[in-house]
Amino acid sequence: MNVFGLRAVCSIAFLVVVVPAGAQVIPIKTIPIAQGDQFQIYPSNNLGLGGVSIALADSLGDPFANPATTARLRGSWIFSAPTVYSVSRRAGGGRSLPLAMLARQATWYGGLALVLQQVDPSRPPDQGGLAVPWVPVAPPADSPTPIPGPDMRAHGNEYAFGMIGRTLPGNLSIGASALWTGLHALDGVDLLYSGSIRVKQTGHAIDVRMGAWKEWPGERGARSLEAIVLHNRFAATHNVLYADQVWDPALQRTVAQLRTDQNFDHTNTWGAQLKYQIPLATPGWRIGWILTVNRATHPKLPNYEITNVAVIPWDPGRSYAYDLGVGLSKVLGRETFGVDALYEPIRSYTWADAIAPTATLGGDTIATGGKTVENRFRFSNAVFRIGVGRDIDLQGSPKMVGLQFGLMMRSISYRLEQTNHVELTQRALRTGWLEWTPTWGLTLRFADLELRYRGRVTKGAGRPGTQFEVGVRAVALASGTILAAPSGPLSLVDVNTSTHQISLSLPLH
Amino acid sequence: MTLSVRPLCVAALVLAAACDEAPPTTSFPESLDAQLRRSIGPWGVVPIAAAPQQNPALVALGQALMFDKILSGNRDIACATCHEPALHMTDGLPLAIGTGGSGSGTGRTLGPGRSFVPRNAPSLLNSTIGLSYVFWDGRLSRGGPPPPEVGLPAGLPNVIAAQAMMPVLNRREMRGDPGDLDVFGNPNELAEVPDSQPSQIWSAVMQRLLAIPEYVTLFNAAFPGVPQSSLTFSHAATAIAAFQMAALMKTDSPFDRYLRHADNALSVEEKRGGILFFTRARCVSCHSGPFLGGQSFSNSGAPQLGPGVGKGAPLDLGRGELPNNQVYRFAFRAPPLRNVELTAPYFHDGSLPTLESVVAHYSDVPKSLREFNPATLPAALQSSYHGDQTTIDDILRTLDFQLRTPLQLTETEQQELVAFLKSLTDPAARDLTALTPASVPSGLPVR
Repeated sequence: MNVFGLRAVCSIAFLVVVVPAGAQVIPIKTIPIAQGDQFQIYPSNNLGLGGVSIALADSLGDPFANPATTARLRGSWIFSAPTVYSVSRRAGGGRSLPLAMLARQATWYGGLALVLQQVDPSRPPDQGGLAVPWVPVAPPADSPTPIPGPDMRAHGNEYAFGMIGRTLPGNLSIGASALWTGLHALDGVDLLYSGSIRVKQTGHAIDVRMGAWKEWPGERGARSLEAIVLHNRFAATHNVLYADQVWDPALQRTVAQLRTDQNFDHTNTWGAQLKYQIPLATPGWRIGWILTVNRATHPKLPNYEITNVAVIPWDPGRSYAYDLGVGLSKVLGRETFGVDALYEPIRSYTWADAIAPTATLGGDTIATGGKTVENRFRFSNAVFRIGVGRDIDLQGSPKMVGLQFGLMMRSISYRLEQTNHVELTQRALRTGWLEWTPTWGLTLRFADLELRYRGRVTKGAGRPGTQFEVGVRAVALASGTILAAPSGPLSLVDVNTSTHQISLSLPLH
Repeated sequence: MTLSVRPLCVAALVLAAACDEAPPTTSFPESLDAQLRRSIGPWGVVPIAAAPQQNPALVALGQALMFDKILSGNRDIACATCHEPALHMTDGLPLAIGTGGSGSGTGRTLGPGRSFVPRNAPSLLNSTIGLSYVFWDGRLSRGGPPPPEVGLPAGLPNVIAAQAMMPVLNRREMRGDPGDLDVFGNPNELAEVPDSQPSQIWSAVMQRLLAIPEYVTLFNAAFPGVPQSSLTFSHAATAIAAFQMAALMKTDSPFDRYLRHADNALSVEEKRGGILFFTRARCVSCHSGPFLGGQSFSNSGAPQLGPGVGKGAPLDLGRGELPNNQVYRFAFRAPPLRNVELTAPYFHDGSLPTLESVVAHYSDVPKSLREFNPATLPAALQSSYHGDQTTIDDILRTLDFQLRTPLQLTETEQQELVAFLKSLTDPAARDLTALTPASVPSGLPVR
């Protein structure tokens, strides 16, 4: 067992962006938290290839990222991609069942998808015999008021996706899509509020995007340009139930007293992405470039600090995230190869507002609404993806077998400068870590049916272990983005996140 | 293929550049809040829930009794004389002045031939909160039986009601000495009862009370099912305790709000002081739990002054004076600290006048004890200071082991500790004068 010795931060903010086809929304993480693959809900052909995407089209996944690319579709398809993910050490998991249809009629095309999802409650990782097993916060048996026990049920989310597009003259396609998500369970949020009995989550997310795709045919293949503009709004409310210990003068003993904190998590993201591919001189090879720009505002970020959720204002903030990438691919005959490299500079700025006049150490007073703490993050992240695949004919059979192997590595490195205007302190932190994700895939192709299995396991991150120090901060985890300003001790236990997806595609005749 | 290799090189360079950061640091310091909350955690310090509602009739009776001098043998001192609302339910004096004294508060003076009560009158603020021990020597405890020599009746609802039974027995405090005449020149019948007959004293007090029609009305309202013939001083003590619960629970200090998750309830200086309190200054080793004290005894090296108690007189051995408690020689109850700012002077004999002097004392206890200046005491007490080397050595011999090594707190740290102690003050406790009634049923002067 490896326990990270990272020192984490005071106001732990945690951005969630619900983007199943999330390459256009750049995740921001300041803590090496293992995230469940909750939003891997759509099929992807390239999942087993390390997720390479810059110079290699993903025939299944691209329509959900850029609706205009649905124009590549030949005919209409119905498919499903049951996906199961689990976090090792029995720390959590979930499962999704999408049902989708992509259809084409002349120059028009469109798609619909519905996804039902079930997310298990997250738990601190099982640390075997080396630590006291985690026991949910339970009320004392003789509490004067009834204290509910922890909620150990799985909770569901619903996703509805719609898309429409049209092919225009000149090999230009345009499309628009919308995704609505009803949220009741974000993976890991249970762990954000250390010491709580239960967290009731409600919220929704909307992702609206417009895309264009243009091809310029050439001798060696077509050049293509993809453009996406998107807007993503995420709003969630966490009603966190605590059983605080208080001294009851009437009973003359310490008793549990219920307290509910309401915590909001709002982030709005605008994003744009350009992707350009050209064929190389060598047959089958293509090269692509990608540029992504995100601007996120965080009107309400949860403060997951265990002891001050109710009072410290949730840090607002904003982020600018970019990625610049280059990719290379080869698709020749039955062999597929792809490699992507991306550099992701990100700037995030969050702060805490004074909710009342606050005296500083220097004797000044910060007026209500003034900034008490400012956090400035500067990220230099990098992503490297590589994958190989090969289709194999099975002799004497109409079937074909495809194998995929890949690896994705994400290097996260950032510097945080925190200015505390109350304590009159300045702190700096430079830290980083590496997450790596081996992937694999198996495809069975029949005449009228494709059956795919894709798997991956992400290593190099952890989840909060059982904490024995009172006052230690809980940490956040969930989908794409985690943005936190470290200030307290944090220990994470190494976990792996494994995802298995089986997708079935059937042509509609 | 030349062209295809170039982007790979670019990618490798980009990746290398991205990884060209210093190794992860683990030195990011905790915020003050993180430090403070972590340091509070192990000590059982929790917020206090609201006090239970009390029967208004019981509270009205208790308030009348608290302020009525008829409870004293000489009809010259009430509970509130030494526990005065204007002085936050204490008297502001190092050692209390009981019956025979004149004046009030810090201006109170000894009567002719009288001596000081040997110990400081502790504040009654939060006295009903559920303290494990009451009195400086903890001779009454919530968990154990009362001392047999006191002869407390059974059935008292709580330890504070039991405590309220005691001062009327004490000759220095309220009962007076044989031969005393009361303020009207009449014989003090309470003083004539032998010390060994506490129940007779309580009965005599009740006779006085029930001779006053207004008290009969108040008792009947407070104890509607109890015939007058069955009313005892236990009922009076129960009412006094109810008044204390209703009026003197003051637990909404900034620190309490901080415990309830309001990080901005404390200033930076107070937080730093709090961190010291719970860590390096080791205050919490005695002042822990929900009340920040009140649960243990310690010889904190307080100077000895006053007439002394029991066999140890003229010294006050504190809990060590109680049978089978010699190990507690010079040890006194570590008081609960909420509202401590308002309840000067400090220690069992009020020998230190300010919080600043208390914190300085704890910074280097042996030095503070040896260099104690009795000139800081009121003139009437200076001669009763026991500053001889033998006494000092005696105190230091059983000094709490945590205090033997000087803390060497800097001036800034001492200021921060004082700031933290002041954050334990409930603003509602600052002015309690409204608790003083205009009159009491006996017609005796309230002040």
